[in-house]
Amino acid sequence: MKSILSFHDVGFGYDALEVISSANFEIPTGICTALIGPNGAGKSTLLRLAAGTLPARSGCVLLNGAPLSNLKIKQIARIVALVPQQFDVPFQFTVRQVVEQGRTPYLSLLRGMTKEDRIAVDRALDFADVTGLQQRIFNELSGGERQRVKIALGLAQEPELLLLDEPTQNLDIGRQVELIDLLHSLNREGITIFASIHDLQLLERNFSSVLLLSPDLPLMKGTPEEILKPSLLEKAFNCPPRRHPLLLERIHHYSKRA
Amino acid sequence: MIALLTATLGIVVLFSVATGAIRIAPGAIIAAVFGRHTLTATQDIILLQIRLPRVLASALVGAALAVAGLLFQGLFRNPMADPYVIGSSGGAMLGACIGIFFFSQLSFFGFSAIALLAFAGSNVTMVIVYSLARSNGKTNVVTLLLAGFSVSTMLGYSSYFFEALNRNGGSNQAILLSWLRGVIGTPRWTQLIVTGAIIPLTIVIAFPLMRRLNTLALGDEYAQQLGMKVEYTRVGIVITGSLLTAAAVSLAGLISFAGLIVPHVARLFLGPDHVRLLPVTALSGAIFLVVADTLARSVFSPAEIPVGILMAFIGGPFFLYLLRKSKRSGTL
Repeated sequence: MKSILSFHDVGFGYDALEVISSANFEIPTGICTALIGPNGAGKSTLLRLAAGTLPARSGCVLLNGAPLSNLKIKQIARIVALVPQQFDVPFQFTVRQVVEQGRTPYLSLLRGMTKEDRIAVDRALDFADVTGLQQRIFNELSGGERQRVKIALGLAQEPELLLLDEPTQNLDIGRQVELIDLLHSLNREGITIFASIHDLQLLERNFSSVLLLSPDLPLMKGTPEEILKPSLLEKAFNCPPRRHPLLLERIHHYSKRA
Repeated sequence: MIALLTATLGIVVLFSVATGAIRIAPGAIIAAVFGRHTLTATQDIILLQIRLPRVLASALVGAALAVAGLLFQGLFRNPMADPYVIGSSGGAMLGACIGIFFFSQLSFFGFSAIALLAFAGSNVTMVIVYSLARSNGKTNVVTLLLAGFSVSTMLGYSSYFFEALNRNGGSNQAILLSWLRGVIGTPRWTQLIVTGAIIPLTIVIAFPLMRRLNTLALGDEYAQQLGMKVEYTRVGIVITGSLLTAAAVSLAGLISFAGLIVPHVARLFLGPDHVRLLPVTALSGAIFLVVADTLARSVFSPAEIPVGILMAFIGGPFFLYLLRKSKRSGTL
């Protein structure tokens, strides 16, 4: 299977603190992959490495087989979009003005927005179902609306790979489901999805592959069924056995299958 | 909008040159421009040699400071940045002082050492304040304001220091004193032509930066993720902003808060899109300062107060209002 993104022995750290050491994995083109792991394990860092906003300290990140370090940042920005967790906008920018910034990789010194760019912005707004919000002020939106606008901003880049940092965080269950459905519809359009996910309940049936990043374990990848084993989760998240309802539910799930 | 502002600027300039100790009817001036009326020799001198250069200088200074304010507010992603607040005016001022006292006869490629040192001073200050206020790709507002405050205080008093050392008086000292107070004097026509070329040209050059300021509003990291070369953009903003500040300082010295108020008010009407804000900010800045200088020289007539003092009276409370507003919205 073709991989849109691959990490070869990638290491990264902030100053003396090593966050990621020799990470090896592949993200196959066209599917939804989730990234899970305890707080501070380096999930955001890993996504930034994939988007090229942080340079790998060692090893190599490949995008469609080409090393990121060989690509121009505009080229990268036309293939990968990262929807960040933290996103604050000063001044009263409207939703449309924010999403228009997603066209930046297609503009040059003297080439401003053309009709084509406007169509791409319309499509992005439409996809993320925020067309009705386009004249609203971004800073006045609710958490769920903001999350969708951030995704529209990423979509305006017309990426092949969409990276999302905790897209379901701070959303109520209704908005969580809407967001997951949005990711699926994007996936059906051919966009590869790689998202860090905090709520482990959302993994099953929604993601075909899960990557587990934990400081105490080697990087692991598998189906939700393979990764969501109580023994593995207890170790990875350093959680006392049977203390969390999710763990009990998983124990029940596996015993039923046995 | 732009046509309306241009017309307003024209009217404001006309009324400003008509105002003064000796009133000249605006109608007579218009008639004279079209050759249908002749003014007396005294009126001619008052208009062309005294008032018009000063009014044009105010317009240039206002446009330059307002656009520099717009650039710096975008760079720092904060509505409280302005050439005076972040110390770049002070830097230009100190540079110019050093030029006046040590290298007043030198020039390079037609630019006097004074002008070049003013430009360099503004650049250096910007770099210092910027690097102090930034950490992890974010601007801490409190650090920005404190760093700007301390740097501009130091620079302001360094300029006073030069003034104090140079007790033998002379034209140098007079220039310096008027700069420190923020007086728009009557510039020589040569000086007016040079700044009159530099300021509009720099504002035009700033145009491609405006779209980048919109992208930069999403944060440095996001702008980089969108394929923008953040470092180049920042350098471009600092250089154009410093050039405008230095040109403004060379005409009028330290004028506080003009670069703060104008972009802010323009943003209230037009929204934050920098591309649309640039021409409007430049024209409104010009109008604003022409009006302010006309008031400064006519309200207490025959006494004149420096426009810098008037601006501090208007701008200070406005700054405090912004401070209170950002404290409420939790952005401080």
